[in-house]
Amino acid sequence: MTSTTDHTDTELLRQVHAGQAEAFTTLYRRHQGPLYRYALLRCGSGDAAADIVQEAFMGLLTGRLGYDPLRGQLQHFLFGVARNLALKLDQARQRHPQLPEPADDDGEADLDTASDADGPLARLLGNEAAEEVRRALSLLPPHYRDPVILYEMHDLSYQEIATVCQIDIGTVRSRLARGRAALAKRLRLTLEGMT
Amino acid sequence: MMNNDDTIDPALATRFAALRSELAGHEAPRCVEKELLQAFAKQFPRKQPWYRRPSLPQWGAAGAFASLGGAGVLATLLLALAPHQSITVGPPLIGIDDGAAFIALESLERIESEPYTRVVEAELPQAALAQLGMPLNPQTAGDTVRAEMLVAEDGHPLALRLSAVN
Repeated sequence: MTSTTDHTDTELLRQVHAGQAEAFTTLYRRHQGPLYRYALLRCGSGDAAADIVQEAFMGLLTGRLGYDPLRGQLQHFLFGVARNLALKLDQARQRHPQLPEPADDDGEADLDTASDADGPLARLLGNEAAEEVRRALSLLPPHYRDPVILYEMHDLSYQEIATVCQIDIGTVRSRLARGRAALAKRLRLTLEGMT
Repeated sequence: MMNNDDTIDPALATRFAALRSELAGHEAPRCVEKELLQAFAKQFPRKQPWYRRPSLPQWGAAGAFASLGGAGVLATLLLALAPHQSITVGPPLIGIDDGAAFIALESLERIESEPYTRVVEAELPQAALAQLGMPLNPQTAGDTVRAEMLVAEDGHPLALRLSAVN
């Protein structure tokens, strides 16, 4: 007998919708880790990340999300769902005052003015270097944060990021480069502040 | 001009490596899986095996019907297999007991309610049994049959047991 762990995501999803709990557990355990880590870096909060994971899988379970295997991998689809849920959280936070993000000549925000008020700065990680870059990431505007996290932490290609974020591939390249530059600059400033 | 290539600041690359390593063990809390499985159970209620679906009283009724059916089949088989006992069932009630015929001349309730009964042995002509629904072989119609008759206290015949054909 074949274990459900050997099955493809599509086969597992078919079994899930036929009511097989073991298939759902396998699918969840296969994808929850990367999804949680993405949401954790995206939102800067473990609770929010857990909510996003739960909401994404609930949508998958009920069939509300309507995943189409022909349009890409399930993992990337779930990243897209998590990103949309995070955007909703961002919108809820917009009730609080934010510093303006003036557009530059590319129509993109000036990253040097990214607000410290945006990101949760509570310490999440034990490793100092890891925590530094996590904090720097949390200070990036969300539309820069997404490509950086997906590229650097989850090894998605430009095309895959473009699909997840629903932007064109040129914008992915641009935002990734700007995001990295902003992170490097912020980390240099942090180091200079420490010396 | 923005640099769009894949090069990354070495210091940043080191920190990303540290972040990947640090986050490797981070997973969603156990309670998320638990809540999702509860939601799954609600959405797809577990189907019970067929033998658990009927309630206990339903099983009792099914057992009673099965017993009645089984008894009917058994009686039919006995009647069919008994040699030379192709009996028509009807009043009076006829039963086959170990190869011998039992003929109830009164209702079973009346026989059971009779406080004092006795058994009387008798020799009966086979022709007389035909009137009681017993099959009659024309070649032996003149022969007699040894019978035990169950009679009430007042001598009223209640039942007849044919033990042998002479």
